[in-house]
Amino acid sequence: MMGMRTYLKLIVVVLWLQPAISCKKILDVQSPNAVADDAVLTTASGVRNARIGLYISLQDKNYYGAYFPLLAECYSDNGTTGGYDVIDLNDIAARTVGPANIYVQNIYASIYNSIHTANKIIGAISTVPGMDDAEKSQINGEALFIRALGHFDLLRMFGEHWDRTSAYGISLSTGNTDPLTPIARSSVDDSYKQILNDLQQSIIGLGASTGSQFISQAGAKALLARVLLYAGELSAASVAASAVIDDGNYSLFGPDEFTKVYTQKLTPESIFELKFDPQNPSAFNTVTYARPDALRSEILFLANADLNEFFLSRPDDRRQALVDYVHVDVSIQPDGRTEKYRGETTKDNSSYIIRLAEMYLIRAEASGKTDGLADLNTVRAARGMTQLTSDDVSSDQAFLKAVLDERRAELNFEGHRLFDLARTGKVSSVLGTSVNPIMPIPQREIDGTGGVVKQNSGY
Amino acid sequence: MPKQFKPWLLFTLVNMQLLLFCQAQQTDHLIQGKISNKEGSPLPNVTIAVKAKPSEVTQSDAEGNFSIRTSSASGVLIFSTIGYASREVKYSGNNPMVIQLQETVSSLGEVVLTGYLKQKKSDITGAISSIRNKDFKDQPVANLAQSIQGKVSGLLVSTPSGTPGAGLLVSIRGAGNPLYVVDGVPMLSESNSSLSSSYNTQGEEMGSGQNISSISDINPDDIESIEILKDASSASIYGARAANGVVLITTKRGKNGKTEFSFNAYTGFQKVARKIPFLDSKGFVALEEDARQQDLKLYNQDPGLFPADFDPALLTNPLPEGWKTGVNNNWLDKIFRTAPISNLELSARGGNEKTRFFMAGNYFGQDGIVIENFYKRGNFRLNVDNKVSNSVNIGANMAFTYARNRRSFNDDTYTGIVTNALGASPLMPVYDNGGAYSDFTQYQASWLSDNPVKSAKEIKAYTTNYRFVGTAFVDIDLLKPLKFRSSFSADYTNLIDDQFFDPITTDGETVGGKAIKGTYRNMTWLNENTLTYQNTFGLKNHFTGLAGFTVQSSKYEKTSIRAQGFPAGSGLENISSASSITSASALNYGWGLMSFIGRANYDYDGKYLLAVSARYDGSSRFAPSGRWGLFPAFSAGWVLTKEPFLANSSWLTSLKLRLSYGLTGDQEIGDFRYQSYWIPGRYDGVAGLRPFNIGNSNLTWQRNKMFNLGADFELFRGRLSGSVEFFKGNRTKLLSQAVLPATSGFSSISINAGDIETKGVEFSLMAYPIRNKNFSWSTSFNISYIHDRIRSLYTEGELLSAYTDLFPTHILKVGQSVGSFWGIKYQGVDTQTGDPKYEDLNKDGVIDDRDQQILGKATPNFFGGWTNDLKYRQWDLSIATQFSIGNKVYNLIRSTYQTLGWSDGGWDANNILYQVYANNATIVNRRWEKPGDKTDIPRASLIFPNYLQNSSQFVEDASFFRIRTVNLGYTIRPKRTTMFTSLRLYLQVQNLWMATKYYGFDPEVSSNGGGSPQTAGVDYAAYPQARTTSFGVNVNF
Repeated sequence: MMGMRTYLKLIVVVLWLQPAISCKKILDVQSPNAVADDAVLTTASGVRNARIGLYISLQDKNYYGAYFPLLAECYSDNGTTGGYDVIDLNDIAARTVGPANIYVQNIYASIYNSIHTANKIIGAISTVPGMDDAEKSQINGEALFIRALGHFDLLRMFGEHWDRTSAYGISLSTGNTDPLTPIARSSVDDSYKQILNDLQQSIIGLGASTGSQFISQAGAKALLARVLLYAGELSAASVAASAVIDDGNYSLFGPDEFTKVYTQKLTPESIFELKFDPQNPSAFNTVTYARPDALRSEILFLANADLNEFFLSRPDDRRQALVDYVHVDVSIQPDGRTEKYRGETTKDNSSYIIRLAEMYLIRAEASGKTDGLADLNTVRAARGMTQLTSDDVSSDQAFLKAVLDERRAELNFEGHRLFDLARTGKVSSVLGTSVNPIMPIPQREIDGTGGVVKQNSGY
Repeated sequence: MPKQFKPWLLFTLVNMQLLLFCQAQQTDHLIQGKISNKEGSPLPNVTIAVKAKPSEVTQSDAEGNFSIRTSSASGVLIFSTIGYASREVKYSGNNPMVIQLQETVSSLGEVVLTGYLKQKKSDITGAISSIRNKDFKDQPVANLAQSIQGKVSGLLVSTPSGTPGAGLLVSIRGAGNPLYVVDGVPMLSESNSSLSSSYNTQGEEMGSGQNISSISDINPDDIESIEILKDASSASIYGARAANGVVLITTKRGKNGKTEFSFNAYTGFQKVARKIPFLDSKGFVALEEDARQQDLKLYNQDPGLFPADFDPALLTNPLPEGWKTGVNNNWLDKIFRTAPISNLELSARGGNEKTRFFMAGNYFGQDGIVIENFYKRGNFRLNVDNKVSNSVNIGANMAFTYARNRRSFNDDTYTGIVTNALGASPLMPVYDNGGAYSDFTQYQASWLSDNPVKSAKEIKAYTTNYRFVGTAFVDIDLLKPLKFRSSFSADYTNLIDDQFFDPITTDGETVGGKAIKGTYRNMTWLNENTLTYQNTFGLKNHFTGLAGFTVQSSKYEKTSIRAQGFPAGSGLENISSASSITSASALNYGWGLMSFIGRANYDYDGKYLLAVSARYDGSSRFAPSGRWGLFPAFSAGWVLTKEPFLANSSWLTSLKLRLSYGLTGDQEIGDFRYQSYWIPGRYDGVAGLRPFNIGNSNLTWQRNKMFNLGADFELFRGRLSGSVEFFKGNRTKLLSQAVLPATSGFSSISINAGDIETKGVEFSLMAYPIRNKNFSWSTSFNISYIHDRIRSLYTEGELLSAYTDLFPTHILKVGQSVGSFWGIKYQGVDTQTGDPKYEDLNKDGVIDDRDQQILGKATPNFFGGWTNDLKYRQWDLSIATQFSIGNKVYNLIRSTYQTLGWSDGGWDANNILYQVYANNATIVNRRWEKPGDKTDIPRASLIFPNYLQNSSQFVEDASFFRIRTVNLGYTIRPKRTTMFTSLRLYLQVQNLWMATKYYGFDPEVSSNGGGSPQTAGVDYAAYPQARTTSFGVNVNF
């Protein structure tokens, strides 16, 4: 009996001591799936990881993973929505989006997540050990580009971007404030200044292209051209676009080949193309095509009948092959589906953020009917269309219409149409007088900032 | 670990060693005797204790004989057993005693587990409800929680889904998801299957779906008793996770005496309890023709109401051939079936002075009422106790479970089987002429995402679970009043998910079939060490004290592989035969908890009762600064009937007043939430990191304070008894997701904010109105009123969606209940035009989001149950009912089957109508047809959707009264010993009848798995409940 007692005593002692020793181990549990925030940006390899994170953040379904560009299309005369009678989708097609709309709310949050990632890098890069200055300035340039892109996308979706005197710009996040502190909206002019400043800094830091899946100096200049066009600084826009066109890395396909833009990856037409892979697919295919005999309810973002009318009025435009109104289910007709995001097996469709054709069209628009016609015709020629003569575009208005039509034919379902209509003041004439050219600030943001962020007029 | 505890620990250790040495054997007087009832039958298993000597206890054997050794030559023996009044008898000398016990219906002598300690029911000062095996045995249900539905006041158990093996919603006093403690092992009812989620057509997770409960691994018939700790003072000994109440489950243990075998088997069948009546082909076509007629009338009055390019030929063109298939399918009949259910179990229970055991094996098989689904479970349990010496006991519990489940794909979302069947065209055949599944796109309803029978058969989703829960413990009597107990437990789960989408399904079509393989592995271990001191001072001062230390740690791993492209026609479904892997993930998580516990109970002569307890918990889920939380509690009771002025009452046998106040905590926010971290991702073949979570170093325990005032009464020696409870709870520092400014880069942060107040009254009554030799009737009734009100929030008016891509369905608003519905108010039908009317709240002439208001709440005002047990000679009949009043359900799916002929543009360029949105339920037969019609269902229309999904049109009153179980039995007890000691045959109907105004399958439904009370009470065609009829036999031998 005594022997057993001794054992028991031992057991008791061991049982009582064991937890006391391992106390720290029990309560300090670290996630094996994640890296603590303060450990990421302290080393060179950490910064390189975060740089990849910039692109991953753009891939979010709500941003360039599909919804941001497609919302800008399907709220316009290019598209409509399907789905299982989902109110928030129906509202997009009806152009009566409310502040609680879940798509708008998610897009808004997703863009700021990219900006946040960029801010983290910008804030830490100067002090990172073990990285040479060239690499630092390249990564810093990429982060500045992403911040500019994010702010610009917010401005054109949520701010009165067509009016530089407007107070309804966007909340500019430059990483200098406590994350919980609300940031009020800046004026449109200040918003543009921040975006342009970031882009100019970015151009200085960035090097030559290493593939259009990454941001290069040419890519930053291309975005600069786009921003300047929106901001109304036309000659500067033209200069920036010229720099990209003359870069030499990019070229337009001919009329028999241009569909390769959408069937191959990283073609010479792409200046910045967000790449996906089969293990990391984008949402484009599932929300615009799904499967050959899909019903209307299965597809969220459809091409609408207006776009069909538009192409029917341009019988020699081969780009109509990229929108299908024939091989669709009766429930989809008279609407159709874009064919820019095919590949039902792999679903790794790229997001075409900036393409060369847009540069020609920016320069055309910025240069006006006399100097711009050649650029317009360059794009038309590449798509097999007849050349326009100066008689065809005798007035500024006629020329602008021709450019906008060309943009619609070339860039549909790539996230331009709504913004083009808004910046040229055509929303009420094209989409309807009661249609608001911009989305409401999500109600969640107004609640979350205690009203510091003000709602857009009309909402 | 805080420093201040080390001296305490050391002190205990030193003491314990001393005590072990000090222990000495003293003796010894042997008292023997025999115990019988009034009729002279021997009473086994009576507990015999020497008064004021807590360690001198024994039990009578099968013949009623007992013998006990005591240290004092004379004193008082206490005889107690369930169903009999306790007796105290003086003894002296060694003469054999003959003891007779009187039967009683009083439950005051029952011993109730209160968390680390046991107490007599009469001594309890908190709000604890206790249910015994007899109250829930023999029911054809998989989950123990289902078997106690409606039986306990303050406990609301609802069945959100009829999926075999599905989890249940259990809420104690309005707080969902309590902590379960099974034989001392705390566990939460978590759903560990990653297939539980519901997906939209893009394959994205939208809602939490129907969960599979980890509690359903326990065979209800292995359970001896269930205690529900309702108030904070009772629950706070489990401080850490007790904010939502605690359910203590005790499984059966061995008994001293001859080995008793029990065999129980039942078999039966299930049918869907309530179906939604749908239009047949004729009615469906008639609805569309009426819709076209109504629109034509309107067009002739005012073509301006129609779109500019509208051609009225659409309204008059004959319907195409597709509308004349001659088929008349009721799709619900095609996916529902009469499904068998069966259960087999054999248990053995016995032992001797030294060793006692309980072992049980069980097989439970249930086919789903939706075709192809099933749930099978095998259990094995062994509980052993061994008396090593007079002062040392050891024991072990082991339970192993194997469960396999074929799930219903997408239980509750757009593309589920039931969901598709609800809208399918009755003109569509299941199979086309060639015998292949008919192509749903060729028929009239565009709502469908696939042929429902095809999805049911060709999407195969299995969840297989292996689970082991085991405990080994040692009890040591250190000194006579001081006991030490140490236990070590392990809870191991290995769960495997397998899902295969055949290439012929919509989901698998473009990729050549796809598959998901997932695993979940969890190991949780727990070590508990307690010291119990129990003593009586001067015969009337009873004191029990307990101090202890526990540590629990859990690690789990989730993996998932998705693949697509399977060799056509090969029949291969395993991941390795796929052409490509589309995603692979492996994630690890873990948490740890350390706790110091203490509690003390004191009573003076069973008249004045006092209890205090405290728990000091440290959790890995919070930042070091907020990691430790102290959860104290206090309670007191006064037994008035022991006072002289009531002691001699002839009718009031017992009256006790109770008062308690306590604090409990909640850590259920997920692992690692206090840390800011980045997660990995890939771009262009390179791995990288992106920010994912914003941390909060101030994150700490949620606190739940509760005040409880209660009274227990017993009249006429238990013929009538009951309890009344008033409580007021306050949940503060709510663990919640605060809305962040988007500029922070994140949409929310985990914080402690908000305050919810809960008030309630509970009343329960138990009576034996008739009780004689041949006939007895016992009845019990309980009703609870619970009301919760949000007192403060971090973000006022936050809108929430039950599904991530749906409009907001709920709102959090100060002054309102959690789970309040949000939408536009429906005001009925315009009797002249037949159009629906909605309240224009802001009077701006437009019905939009700004007209939304609160439309009711998901939680009931009153709920309860009424159970009757009747016995006549060998016959017994039990009828259990359940009711719920004042709860509403957002019937989201109803807007699909009440579309009133709307087409969603399903016509071609020649204005031939091919498709409408969906078939409708027969409720649309009540629709408006001509001016003057008074109805609540608007006019049919092909062009205009005459319904609004987010309106009160679809927020329905879900109050109900349900006859939950009816059980009729006949028992044979042979006079002479034969093959068996008793045999009971029974017939049972589960879910027999229900009264409700709810139009969906079942008012208890909550499609979103009900995981979050904030978005509770939505119905997206959840799996309906079954009516089960079963026949069973129960033999003891």
